[in-house]
Amino acid sequence: MNNLKKTKNSIRWVIALKEEAQVILDYYKLKPINEKTIYPIYKNEEETHWLIICGIGRNNAAASTAYLYAYSNASNYTSWINIGIAGSCKGNYGDLYLVDKISTYQKRKSTYPSTLPKATLPKMHLFTSDIPISDYSTYELIDMEGSAFFDIASKLTPKEFICLMKVISDGPEDNIKEITKSKISNLMKENLLKIIDVISYYERLSEEEFQIIDKPKLFNKIKSKWHFSATQSYRLENLLRRIEIFCNKKDIEKIIKNCETSNSVINVLNTKIKNNLVNWSKF
Amino acid sequence: MIETIYVEDAIQNHPKTKFILNKFKKSRIISINKYGEIFNKRNQNFRIQKANPCLILAHKKDNFVLPAPEGFGLGSSKNFYFSHMYNCIYDCRYCFLQGMYSSANYIIFVNFEDFDISIEKIIENNLDSKVTFFSGYDCDSLALENVTGFAKHILPIFRKYPQIEIEFRTKSIQKEPFLSVKPMPNVILAYSLMPELMSNSLDNKAPSISKRIRVISELASKGWKIGLRFDPLIHGKNWKKLYQELLENIYKNISLDCLHSVSFGTLRFPKRMFKDIFKLYPNEPLFTSPLSLNNKMISYDIEIEEEMTSYCKNLSLRYINEDQIFKCSI
Ligand code: SF4
Repeated sequence: MNNLKKTKNSIRWVIALKEEAQVILDYYKLKPINEKTIYPIYKNEEETHWLIICGIGRNNAAASTAYLYAYSNASNYTSWINIGIAGSCKGNYGDLYLVDKISTYQKRKSTYPSTLPKATLPKMHLFTSDIPISDYSTYELIDMEGSAFFDIASKLTPKEFICLMKVISDGPEDNIKEITKSKISNLMKENLLKIIDVISYYERLSEEEFQIIDKPKLFNKIKSKWHFSATQSYRLENLLRRIEIFCNKKDIEKIIKNCETSNSVINVLNTKIKNNLVNWSKF
Repeated sequence: MIETIYVEDAIQNHPKTKFILNKFKKSRIISINKYGEIFNKRNQNFRIQKANPCLILAHKKDNFVLPAPEGFGLGSSKNFYFSHMYNCIYDCRYCFLQGMYSSANYIIFVNFEDFDISIEKIIENNLDSKVTFFSGYDCDSLALENVTGFAKHILPIFRKYPQIEIEFRTKSIQKEPFLSVKPMPNVILAYSLMPELMSNSLDNKAPSISKRIRVISELASKGWKIGLRFDPLIHGKNWKKLYQELLENIYKNISLDCLHSVSFGTLRFPKRMFKDIFKLYPNEPLFTSPLSLNNKMISYDIEIEEEMTSYCKNLSLRYINEDQIFKCSI
């Protein structure tokens, strides 16, 4: 659990059943972690992808999402994915859908996940139920985990970093009792290319966010040379962000080279900004 | 292209809702209870949303017209504003809306009729005062005019009250609501401008300065009153030359008889707002400017502000009268 790598892109999967997850485990080369955990957890070698098998139901989905967050040290630029099978009155057996509205019996208010822009996949309204439903007539999509996953994930990360995808496995024409483990695996396999495509968007999103919030290049180097208080560190970070846009690393190092204290480093950097005449033709 | 439109249940059958939805036949429509379910949630990423905003159609309950903040007006004794929309289709890097809402989605309040009632009530209560209304404080007043038709809707009220002024402040090049009707001397079409070079980097998604000037010139030639808003004034290399070129280009290309007012405003952010905007866009050239904390506001130093304001004002005085020039202090 300790010594986790700080990775540029960061994906966390929450999936109810091993059969739903298998194709993801194989494609992203995720291996079980070497520790005993409450829920089975898998990760890839780079530690960019982590996956938890949560089991069926809202309680499991909520608990495992929070558990994976803590266990894998997920960041605020981590993308969270829930994928699995669902019943439907509307879509075709085997088709993959994005979810952009979630309702439950328990909560009066619905929730509204974002979906990736310009998605070619169709979207549907998900109803998360605590019991299997055989009357499909009222709902577009039915599952047993989605709402709880979204409620917890949206406390951990902005909703633009959360994605729910459902593959239709049962409906008025496809009896829920006929779902088998191998049918589930096949449904997921048949949609793998579409899933990978969606995930590449979330990998990119996470990486871009990382680039934006990552510390400026010289921050750690400067901090190791002078002693900065917490407030000074914050000012240093902001000044460096601004200066690195128009001044290269070498020049910055040169102007602070003779500073004796952290205060004088900040003063020198401040003066650099104060004297900057923005050259708008460059931007 | 707006991919998703959220519609409050209560206004699903409102004629304006139908009018707007008719323009987005390919969008996915999702029904919601209250717009706050989408708009006011805390855990949203404004920057990511801004790249692909959704539209929310909602019903506004109250506060249709509010007194304008101190420093917003142009010499009237009473100033009011109203916003039929929250957020903007443009993405100006200095825009205060970036630090104001947690969501970048656009809200359109479809119950225009309630705005009418509030506006007329204020007019009737202030018939003896010099009153100016400002349209679009929480948005650009005209940017989505082709979707909302709000300006077109509201103009007839002001035709009834020629002594009451209304200003539409904008960066858009929407001309239609004005070209199709007779000019009204109490309507000010106020355009925000800055040198093209700066605008290219700062006024993301907004029409270019040259396009804005062409529209200003056309509307002025038809007899509409024009306001020029150099707000914010932007500092940088060759700023004097850039502003001189801009001001002269405008003054030489529009009919000065139609010029209602010119105002200059400096770049200012409340400290908290600056922090939020900088966090969203830390790598933006705007933040390499010599901005620092002055009197609880992040701004250029007072010497820079004064030099820029008086330079532009003096240049303007070659073409217009002093009483046409104002200072924006908000
Ligand atoms: S046009 Fe106005 S409201 Fe719109 S983004 Fe620019 S500054 Fe903000």
